[in-house]
Amino acid sequence: MLQLSWAGLRDRWTSFAGAVLTVCLGVALVQSSLLLLLASATADAPAGSGPVAQVRFEEARVVAVTVLAVTLALAAFLAVFVIASTFAFTVDQRRRDLALLRLVGAGRRQVVRLLLGEALLLGVLGSLAGSALGTGVVRVQTWLMVRVGLLPAGAGARWHAWVLPACVGVGTALALAGVFLAARRAARVRPLEALDAEEEPARVMTRGRWTTGVLLGAGAVVLLALSPLGGPAGGRAMAVCVSLLAALALAVLAPVAVPALAGALVPRGGVLGDLARANLRDEVRRSASTAAPLIVLVGLLLGQSGAAWSYTEAAVAQLRSTTAADLVVESTADADGALAQRLSAVPGVGSASSEVELPAALTTGSGETAFTGIRRVLVVDPGAYERAHPTSGSLQALRGAAVAAGPGALESSTGDRVGVRVGQVDLGPLPVVAAVPQAVGGGPALLLPAGLLPAELLQGSAVRTFVQLQGGSDRRQVAAALTAAGGRGARVSDVQDWLARSAQQAGSSDTSILVVVMGLGASYALIGVVNAGVVATAARRREFATARASGLTRRQVVGSAVLETWAVSGAGLLLGALAAAGTLAAVLIATASATGTASIDLPWPLVAAVVTGAFAVTGATSAWTAWSATRTAPVQLLRARE
Amino acid sequence: MPTNALAPTTAAVSLRAVSKTYGSGPTAVRAVDQVDLDLATGTWTAVMGPSGSGKSTLLNCAAGLERVDSGRVLLGGTDITDADDETLTRLRRTRVGFIFQSFNLVASLSAAQNVELPLRLAGKRPPRADVREALRAVGLAERADHRPRQLSGGQQQRVAIARALITRPQVLFADEPTGALDSSAARGVLDLLRAAADGGQSVVMVTHDPAAAARADATVLVRDGRVEDRVVGADAVTVAARLAAMGA
Repeated sequence: MLQLSWAGLRDRWTSFAGAVLTVCLGVALVQSSLLLLLASATADAPAGSGPVAQVRFEEARVVAVTVLAVTLALAAFLAVFVIASTFAFTVDQRRRDLALLRLVGAGRRQVVRLLLGEALLLGVLGSLAGSALGTGVVRVQTWLMVRVGLLPAGAGARWHAWVLPACVGVGTALALAGVFLAARRAARVRPLEALDAEEEPARVMTRGRWTTGVLLGAGAVVLLALSPLGGPAGGRAMAVCVSLLAALALAVLAPVAVPALAGALVPRGGVLGDLARANLRDEVRRSASTAAPLIVLVGLLLGQSGAAWSYTEAAVAQLRSTTAADLVVESTADADGALAQRLSAVPGVGSASSEVELPAALTTGSGETAFTGIRRVLVVDPGAYERAHPTSGSLQALRGAAVAAGPGALESSTGDRVGVRVGQVDLGPLPVVAAVPQAVGGGPALLLPAGLLPAELLQGSAVRTFVQLQGGSDRRQVAAALTAAGGRGARVSDVQDWLARSAQQAGSSDTSILVVVMGLGASYALIGVVNAGVVATAARRREFATARASGLTRRQVVGSAVLETWAVSGAGLLLGALAAAGTLAAVLIATASATGTASIDLPWPLVAAVVTGAFAVTGATSAWTAWSATRTAPVQLLRARE
Repeated sequence: MPTNALAPTTAAVSLRAVSKTYGSGPTAVRAVDQVDLDLATGTWTAVMGPSGSGKSTLLNCAAGLERVDSGRVLLGGTDITDADDETLTRLRRTRVGFIFQSFNLVASLSAAQNVELPLRLAGKRPPRADVREALRAVGLAERADHRPRQLSGGQQQRVAIARALITRPQVLFADEPTGALDSSAARGVLDLLRAAADGGQSVVMVTHDPAAAARADATVLVRDGRVEDRVVGADAVTVAARLAAMGA
């Protein structure tokens, strides 16, 4: 059996090379994310850093670990998806060969064993190559993470001996799992199919496939309906999952959805268009295999980025409507802690709320259930804070050794006790005596009254002061005086400018994280698309020859193939956008229920890049493979049967 | 039960009131219609008829490749009408062999590997000498390591015959075995089939070519799914005349 597998591999190397490539890249990506995650999770703060710097390092590490964990999950998800669909596709391309084996006496179990044997060979080959490639990918990924500031410069992953066997095992298992169902289906091929001149296409939409697709779709609808009930954080998590489920559902249902949609996209009237449309109707599996990775890619990319952008927009809108200030002073805390008084004393200033954001170790619960996490706390003057943020409610109780639940509080509410440690200063368990409303964009978990922490600890931290002017005072004069009073490096801005600037910063940090998480995954999914294109077109030499023998020029054959591929890509993009629309609808509902106004914002340059990229890549693949598949004179291809 | 009504038979292949219809409703095509046929062991029978007369379907039903709608199919006395997939698989490994117009060799395997494939699939490892001998018998001893695409059409068909005969099947089913060959290659193939029949194996061959049918012991003429005529020991001219008389 293994010899037959090997002979099969040698003979159909183009489609198998594609399968090996997907295993290789998938394993490389997963291995790289895993190694970086391990390195990041066990990194130590640089020697000699102060207590606050250590907590900051800790905090940055949590962000890096989260981003890497999400990347790893996405890479694993895409690897399962792309590898399984590629292998299933290569099996379906070979029904004739398998029928022939059945004709000369192969049993069903032997066909399954043969296909699994091939998957084993391909899986091991691909995993070994992927593990080697992964050592290169990890450099690219580290560079990306360092570049967008998620990892400190000089960070790097260390090799672990167990990674190689783990990667080979996982890669091989994925290949086998991908083939298993397709092989069981292929084993039911009737021997007579080897004799049919035109291969009878296998029934694509099985009952299991329908059930899976409908269940996933129903899950997406349920999440969409529940998203307004989840609160700011829960609603966001649900919204993000809607597009994930919807994209999977549409990918599973692609054999139904893609040909219908793609057929409608082909212009009517021309003979090439008619030919392309007929092929779309006839070759359901080919269309579905090309479109499925696109659906998942676009669904995830647009869904995730749309959610991130819209939430940033909603957060800024909420901040704008809940902040009552004219000017914002950004400065650095000094040793004597008198900055707030100096700014309040500037003539023309009505009220000034100085706020310092710090990372802190917060402990909730006690005994067995105690949990400590790194969160942000905000040191405020409660009275001034109330005036600068009129929707905050009363903070009168917030004085002495007490804290208030902040806009980003998740696990504490009035009446709880929370342990607070900043650097080496342990404030012990403090009662939560008040709570400000939660914000859609999150924020500090706790508000600490000024004076609770020693001034030396705050020294050097960034201070943000929201200033309200007294009626009739000159804005420009007060701004100049504030700049002088703010000390070295102080910067005074109009509150609208400051809001716009912070929105932009939040957006660009979202973009960086998205690029890191999605960039490599997106390239991987595109390779899946290219691969499906190559495998599909390589099997069409005879069909192309027939078309040319019927009077089409080589150029027209290639044109029709490209037209067909573009229609399929267009359908994939539209279905992906439909999946993403699920998340965007959930975002609209969730932000509307959290802030009162619905927010939606899309990263249009990214959308444009994905659309043009998809058309360019699939068009080029299709043109190139169709051109090389029509290189031989048609009469020669039609004569040769084997 | 209807099977009890069947008389014991020594025929290699027996069809009893076999019918097979494709499709349903107004587009239904009755490819085989109430056919009764006995093909004696050790004889070579040609099946002829116009295009679409149902001769290939008849062959596929007799070989167990196609399930019949009604009637019984017996192969060497065994009723295979309702046999399950495993039984039919075993049958293909041991008791029947196939040859087709389009050769149907596994393109990735050499001639020798193609020939030994049925035995390997049956879990046997044939001695190299047996495979060489099978290839020598069809005149291809020198081509054992060639791949199908390196062989001419006639050579490929001879490899297919060697593959079909290596299991020493009781019945050899051949569907237009000379359809894609020039006349001298066709003659070589027909010689091999003659030798098989003379050696005691039964051969059932569907063909368009009266000259090919004339090499068989008997010719069955089929039209519209029914057996219309049966000619024994006729030459090509007689067969062609009978065919023409049928309106083919």
